[in-house]
Amino acid sequence: MKRTLLNALTLTLLCAAVAASFIWLQLDFSSLVTADGREQMARYVAAFFPPNTSPAWLAKLWQGALETLAISAIGTLLAALFGAALSLLAAGRMGTLARSFCRLLLNALRSVPELVWAALMVLAAGLGPFAGTLALALHTTGVLGRLFAEALENTPTAPATALREAGAGRIVAFLYGTLPGVLPQWLSYTLYRWENNIRMAAVLGFVGAGGLGQMLHVTLSLFQQSKASSVIIAMLAMVLLVDALSGWLRARLG
Amino acid sequence: MSIRLSGVDYVHPNGQTALQGIDLTLNPGEQVAIIGPSGAGKTTLLRLLATSLLPSSGELRLLDLQPARLGSGDLRRLRSRIGLIHQSPPLPPRQRVVTAVLAGRLGQWSLARALVSLCYPLDIPGARQELARLDLGDRLFDRCDQLSGGQQQRVGIARTLYQRPDLLLADEPVSAMDPVLADHTLSLLGEVARERQLPLVASLHAVDLALKHFPRILGLRAGRILFDKSAGEVSEQDLTALYANESLTARQSEPANPAIARPVRCL
Repeated sequence: MKRTLLNALTLTLLCAAVAASFIWLQLDFSSLVTADGREQMARYVAAFFPPNTSPAWLAKLWQGALETLAISAIGTLLAALFGAALSLLAAGRMGTLARSFCRLLLNALRSVPELVWAALMVLAAGLGPFAGTLALALHTTGVLGRLFAEALENTPTAPATALREAGAGRIVAFLYGTLPGVLPQWLSYTLYRWENNIRMAAVLGFVGAGGLGQMLHVTLSLFQQSKASSVIIAMLAMVLLVDALSGWLRARLG
Repeated sequence: MSIRLSGVDYVHPNGQTALQGIDLTLNPGEQVAIIGPSGAGKTTLLRLLATSLLPSSGELRLLDLQPARLGSGDLRRLRSRIGLIHQSPPLPPRQRVVTAVLAGRLGQWSLARALVSLCYPLDIPGARQELARLDLGDRLFDRCDQLSGGQQQRVGIARTLYQRPDLLLADEPVSAMDPVLADHTLSLLGEVARERQLPLVASLHAVDLALKHFPRILGLRAGRILFDKSAGEVSEQDLTALYANESLTARQSEPANPAIARPVRCL
């Protein structure tokens, strides 16, 4: 009885919250379905077709796509390198002080979204692909560092310990005893983040960080819908291609 | 003197005494089997000899050095001269057999050589030779996780033989092998130790194998040496005393006694 009452109360509150949100945001869905609204939408959508396929524009698209690809690949590669270095510290291989500090650093890097990093980096490094690469590298270092450290902590220590007890140095024992266990996982995480980053690299252009995103932002702002639609198609194709490639590579690793 | 322990005690960090008053001397080329019930301290004794543990008190000398007094560099050099065969060989599952065997000599190799060998195995004939003795010469380029438990144990032995140690230790080296293979492998270890004039210390569960392959037998019980005799002198009474299980036999004879049925605290 009490339970039913409570449920009813929760439901009422939820409905009230939804209604209040509509009123507060002044959402006017009715204007979407008026004849005028429908006509405007149809006109806007129609302007996207046919996509612009003039050779000059395709050449620019090709360049933009390569730029986005390069931003995501280099950003992810840098992140994997820094993440691997930081994960060794974060997994407590060099003492507890370094461990806590590194965890804090990785959390900080990770909790700032890529777009915010990109906006900051555009201020620091200027408009263009360099800012986008740095932004991706910074955020992804936080993510990969954390994942790499967890993989390290979950890997059996016996192989490396046995090598140390046969006189091997720390570095060599890590390379022969620990790395074979974590490397497939590290590569798999890196490829997965690359898939995410290629999508992100396409968006980062909106804050001026280069690549296809910047072209999309410019063409949409100038109401060049047919050019914008070919940019969108290029983005889709590139993301699908990278997903397929990375998925295939990860399946081979597994 | 290759190994000398005098009055060695070992107390685990949790306060449990594992070894008490161990005296043991081994000359080059001498072969000893350690037998005894589970929990007698066989593995702890081997870990002391492998310098992965240091004695709580007493003196331990290995190859005329005292590991407790060595700096980290000298300890590493000493460790590279001691080969321990593990019961469950700690091989990374995805590593290739050849790399796992070559890893035996990492203590002697330079960092540069180790790095190159990680990408391209530098001493394939050397690894093949050790594996061939253990009948695994054709598995050189397989991954370790494609091998059975007994095969992995033999890869572990090949690695330790490839290490060319001056002191050979083995913790239950044949526990995952069938009787014929176990017999063959122990003969091989004895042969290698004789050939290279190495002292060999092995712990074994199978008493018959110990008596057959080792001239000297060390009976370890509750952290103490119960007997240290040549294999011919070990009597039936020695073995009965070594493996006598008071709690099991007591329970069999007086099953109704509630005082004995009371759970025993293990910690």
